[in-house]
Parts: sequence; structure tokens; C-alpha cells
Amino acid sequence: MRFRRPRRALPGFELALAATLLWAGVLVALPFLGLAGKMATVTWEQVWASIADPRVVASYRISFGLALVAALLDVLFGGMLAWALVRYHFPGKRLVDALVDLPFALPTAVAGLALTALYAPTGLLGKPLNDLFGIQVAYTPLGVLVALVFVGFPFTVRAVQPVLADVSADLEEAAACLGATRGYVFRRVVLPALFPALLTGGALAFGRAVGEFGSVVFISGNLPFRTEITPLLIIVKLEQFDYAGAASIGSLMILVSLAILLAVRAIEERQRRRLGLGEGI
Amino acid sequence: MSIAVRSVSKNFGRFAALHDVSLEVAEGELLALLGPSGSGKTTLLRVMAGLEFPDDARGRVFFHGRDVTDQPAYQRRAGFVFQHYALFPNMTVAQNVAFGLDARPRRHRPPKAEIRARVEHLLGVVQLEGLGARFPAQLSGGQRQRVALARALAIEPSVLLLDEPFGALDAKVRKELRQWIRRFHDRTRITSVFVTHDQEEAFEIADRVVILDKGGIQQIGTAREVRGGPSTPFVTEFLGLGENI
Amino acid sequence: MSAIAQFSPSRARVHATADPAWVRWGVTFLGVGFAAAFLALPLGVVFQEAFRHGAGGFLAPLRDTSTRSAIGLTLLVAAIVVPVNTIGGLAAAWATCRFRFPGRRLLLALIEMPLWVSPVVGGLLFMLLFGRQGWFGAWLIAHDVSIVFAAPGVVLATLFVTFPFVARCVIPQMQAQGFAEEEAAMTLGASAWRVFWKVTLPKVKWGMTYGIILCNARSMGEFGAVSVVSGYIRGQTITMPLHVEIRYNEYQTTAAFAVASLLCLLALATLLGKTWSERRLARAFRAGAEAIPAEARS
Repeated sequence: MRFRRPRRALPGFELALAATLLWAGVLVALPFLGLAGKMATVTWEQVWASIADPRVVASYRISFGLALVAALLDVLFGGMLAWALVRYHFPGKRLVDALVDLPFALPTAVAGLALTALYAPTGLLGKPLNDLFGIQVAYTPLGVLVALVFVGFPFTVRAVQPVLADVSADLEEAAACLGATRGYVFRRVVLPALFPALLTGGALAFGRAVGEFGSVVFISGNLPFRTEITPLLIIVKLEQFDYAGAASIGSLMILVSLAILLAVRAIEERQRRRLGLGEGI
Repeated sequence: MSIAVRSVSKNFGRFAALHDVSLEVAEGELLALLGPSGSGKTTLLRVMAGLEFPDDARGRVFFHGRDVTDQPAYQRRAGFVFQHYALFPNMTVAQNVAFGLDARPRRHRPPKAEIRARVEHLLGVVQLEGLGARFPAQLSGGQRQRVALARALAIEPSVLLLDEPFGALDAKVRKELRQWIRRFHDRTRITSVFVTHDQEEAFEIADRVVILDKGGIQQIGTAREVRGGPSTPFVTEFLGLGENI
Repeated sequence: MSAIAQFSPSRARVHATADPAWVRWGVTFLGVGFAAAFLALPLGVVFQEAFRHGAGGFLAPLRDTSTRSAIGLTLLVAAIVVPVNTIGGLAAAWATCRFRFPGRRLLLALIEMPLWVSPVVGGLLFMLLFGRQGWFGAWLIAHDVSIVFAAPGVVLATLFVTFPFVARCVIPQMQAQGFAEEEAAMTLGASAWRVFWKVTLPKVKWGMTYGIILCNARSMGEFGAVSVVSGYIRGQTITMPLHVEIRYNEYQTTAAFAVASLLCLLALATLLGKTWSERRLARAFRAGAEAIPAEARS
């Protein structure tokens, strides 16, 4: 193997690469290889029996379906908040800006506990929602949705903010000089510029929501067929010592994550090429 | 009178960008706004376009005798060309040029075929035939600036305003495009105002040159008038006339 | 001043980039309201519940031994995980930013993987390796070594989920800054270690700080992956988040929220540190970009 190096090679390549490979190898590659090895010992019938089990299939509806809805809500409200944070001045703006990252910083179990307390039938928001509208949030799919929206929210805000700040005022002014009304400028100039960021943010929020566990298990009540999420069923399988079943469901989730990752990469790459950013860097 | 600006003042915070400026641009004239950074030349151009508004009620802007002061940019139909082109990166060249026509309300919008024909024609005018399907990122700086010009012309502007139109180009392209703009203006005779900080550029192609400093007009005149009789010490110094004596 | 008194700008006289007032108010209200309902309220509720029975009710559960052992384990895990992932992240950044080698992109993708899989799947991966029926299960039992359902498993699962943070924060910064200074230092005869400590590390220190803050927060707060491998052995494998869950399931709500409020404080400290290092990081990036001449604009 020949390594292409910059003309004046800096030292430490062998050491750094060895350390990296050891670190990434033991902590990431080996566990994934373990999974692959496990899957190699499982027959297709076993895999199918695990991933097509009605209780598991019902959990996909919750994990994937609600994750999608949550991602859409995050895109909508996250986009609005990003817009307000970048374009407007209002009191407490910096506080709100810092608070956006809370779901990254707050342990998911605490988030789950707090959301449950807030939306339980006796909670601060749960009580009025229940009394006035008859809506029960905690221990229903709606509660799962609330938790998923919570964990995904920062992804969309943080994806849109820098892009929005970069949309040059020139573009909007140019469009106005050409006779476009504000609404038209938004639709034809601003939104297309934001679209990839909204999509990336949405995909990240979706990816996070699909795998989310800690914040959901408290508020969902874990009712089979109704509010059970797929990661919980992995744990259930493990508790029954059904490692093959757990590995099958886990593999499916990894494949979905990979598909999302690749889709996001493809969108970013396409956008980069089209806007001519590829050549510059 | 094609464009008239009366008693316009504009402050940004404590910075006085324009102080009681009045100016008239004749029909079919090519006028240069010349001055150093911070002289207010771009602000003046933006006030004409409706991208900035005068601070007080005395300041007014007229296009062809019509008071447009209270009209926002999108109602003025002033063709504006930005220094950094401001082409829409997500649209092709043809879509960029067609933008102003597509943006019109339905009852004023020309039919699709006519828009397409007009775009083709304009790309011909700016010598970019056949590049309509490209994206702006695939063009050179000089080509982008000509797309920006075609886009501004598509709305049949009553006046053409250019903000440092050659500023972002390299020296050779700059010289060529500058000549081209002059010939283009001779053909179309659209009243045009352009901003520059390069006196050679201003004197070479403009009919008249307006020299600004610190938010005020120092002198207005043809190249010969200004060079022959600088009216203030600033003009003498800015044009480097003192050194020759 | 009569001229100014008369002067009432017509509604049409708006800047090209300004939105109408109703849009401004609507968007701000909805965006901020959403953030308040979803972010600020839960935080407030934790403290409210924790202090429901006064300061005594708050402090009592923090004094019991199981709480203290959970805090101890959480600190121990963070003390191992953060340095390991910081050193690994720095090595990975150095290897992938300064050198091109076959499989480099694969390595970069591998580093990102833990971000993309469910923490529960992360825990599952270690069960498949070290669990009773896992690849090394028989060997571990034969040698009487416990990894899962013991502290090492908790550490490994946490290492996995916090794996990418430092690397992801350092790599872009190292990439953006180039390595002219390193080369200059080398030509002046500095040793490789000296170059790393005196030149490279100071250049990426804000990206690293940012990554460490995120890594630390996640390592102390991880729930999904840890709950898979922990086995919930009291006094041995219970971290603070698991302790919160146990107390909550035992209907000791105040105790659960008291420990949760400690984790909230950690989150708030994380946000503060994050905001601060982000600002320093932005400044560092700007300083790097100043080589490009600013646009001349009158």
C-alpha cells in the first residue's frame, strides 16, 4: 500500500493512524462485526419471524410513522424559530438561542420524566388539555410524538440557521427590484435556498427520533401494539434471551439509519455541486 | 428629466451616509457616481432603486417626473445590477432572466412562449446565446455580470442602476465589459447610473461624472469639466490632479 | 418640525428585505412559543417537582447511599470516557486531515456511525459481543470476567454512544486551518510532540472544548445504551439516569426529580459552556478567514 502524502510530510502519521484504528476498531468496528457475525448464523426464516412479528410491526408504525410526523413538525416550527432568530430582534433572543440545544444537553431520561410530568392528566399542560379538550397526551401515541418532537427540534433549527444567515440580502433585493412581491421572493428565492437545509435537518430529526428511547419510554406507557417503540422491543427480546431476534430488529434499524445517512449525504452533495461549492474547496 | 433626487438625507445610526443630496439625471444619459469608500455613492443608488428610503419628508425621488419616493423597490421597475451579480443560484440562466416576468401578477404576465422568446432575445443581446440551461455557478464572472444585466433588462426598466458593475471582475474582463456597456448604452439609450470608485472607469464611459465625498456631492460635470476645473480641494486630491502641477 | 409631523411613510414604503409586521409577530410568536412549551417548561417542571416537599424533600434523596453510588459511577464513567474519546478524536483528526490514505473516507464514515444508530442498538452490539450468548460469552464465563451487567459494560456502551463528538468538532476546524504553522515549526527544528502540543492543539482547542462538553454531557446522561448493558445491579451498575428511572418506577417521584434536577443543572452548565465555546470557535474561524480581503463597498 502506498500513501499519498503532502509534499513535506508531517510526522506522526503512523502513530495517529494506529491510535485511530485501535480506537475506532475496538469501539465501533468490532461491535458492528459482532452483529454481522451474529446475523450470519441466523436463518432468513428466523429473521423474518422476528421482524414481521405483529407486535414488532405495530412498533414500526409508532417509531417510523410518528418519527416522520415529528420531523415534519420540527421542520415547520424549527424553521420558523430559525427565521425569527436570524432575521428579527426580540427580547430574550440569546436565551432562546441557547435553549434550543437543550435536547442535546439534557439526558433523555430526564427529558422523558419532565415531559411525562408536564403532560400527565394531572400535569401543568396535561390537565388543561384533558379538561378542556378531552385530549390525553401522556401514555398515548400523542405523548410519544411530543417526546420525538422534543429530541429532534434542535436539528432543524441548527441546520437552517447558518444557511439562512448566508442567504445574501442581495438576492432578496435583486428579486424585489425585478418586481417580485415579498411572498413571491420567499417562495422562489428564499425557500429554495433553505430547502436542502430543511431536508437535512428533517432527516437528522427523523433519524434521531427513530432510535430514540429514553425520553419516550416514560411518556409512552409502553402499551403493546399502541405505544411501544421498536428499540423497546429490542430490549424485550434481549430480556427473553432471544439474541437472534434482537439482532434482526437491530439490523433493520441500522439499515434504515444508513439509508437516511446516505440520502442526506446525496442531497448535500448534489446541492454543493449545483451551487458550485465543490470546485472552491 | 429622467431621474431626479431632491434633498435626500440618510443616516445609518450616527453615520451620515447622505446629507441633503440633490441630483438630476438627463434622459438617455450614462452617469457615474464616483467617490471613495463611505462617500455615500452606493447609498444614493439604493435610494434611487427603493432599497433605502430618505430619512425625512423633504427627501424625494422622481422617475420621469413621477414621485416614486413612497414606492417600494418591487413597484419601481428600476433595473438594478449588483456588484456580486446576485444571480439566483438555484435557477438556470434562462430562469434568472425570466424571473422578473414570471413574478408579475397573472394578468400582466406575458404568455410562456413570449417569455421564452424574450429571454432568448436578451441572451443574444448580452452575447450569451445557448447558455440558458446553465447554472450561474458554471459561468465566468464576466458572463455572470451579463446575465445580471439581461435579467435587469427583461423587465423593460425605466432606468438602469448599476452598483460597482465591474468591481468583482479581473482587470482584463473589466476593461472589455466596460467598453461593451458603453456601446450597449449608445444603442439602447436607457438612462443609466453606475457607481464606481475607479476614476478611469468613470471618465472613460460616463457622459457626466458626479463626485461624492462624506455624503455630499462635490462636483458634477463631464470628464473635461471636472479635470479642467476641480471645484474643491477634495476633488483635486481625489483625482490626483495636484501632483501634475 | 411640521414637515416631519406631516410625514407619515405610507404602508408601501417598506424595505425589500423587511417582512410585514404580522409575519414578524406571527413567526416570532409561534417559533418562540413552541420553544418555550417544548424546552423551557419541561426544565421548570423538573425543579418544581424536585422541590415539591421543600428543600428537605429535595436533599434527603440525594444523601442516601444508592444515590451517592449512582453519582459516583456516573462520574467514573465520564472520567474514563471523555479522555479516551478526546485522545481518539484528536488522533483521528490528525490522521484524516493531514494525510490521504486508502479507506480514509470509510474511516470518517465509521467515526460517524454511532451518531446514527439508536443507543439501544449500541447497547445491543455489546450484548452480542460480551453477553452470555455473545461471541466472547463462553470465554468470559470460563475466566469469570464480567463485562456486561457490570461497570465495564456501562463504560463501553457509553464510549460507543459518545464516540464521535470530539472528532466531529475537531476535524472541521483542523481542516479549515491548514498546516502551514506546523510546517514552519518543523523547519525550525521542533520535535513532533512539541509541534503537536505547541502549535496544533492550541489551534483546535475551541473545537476540542466544544466536543468535550458535548461528550461529557452525553456520557453522564446516556440512558438507552446503558440500560441495555447495565442489568440494573444496585450499587454496581446504576448510573444517575438509571437511578432516576428506578426511583420513578418505585413511585418515589420527589427522589427521582431530585436526581433529575442535578442532571438538569449539568445540562444548563453544558448549554452555557457550549454557547461560550461556540462563540470562541466562531471567532477562531473568523480569524482564520481574515486572510481573504474584505469586500470593498462604499
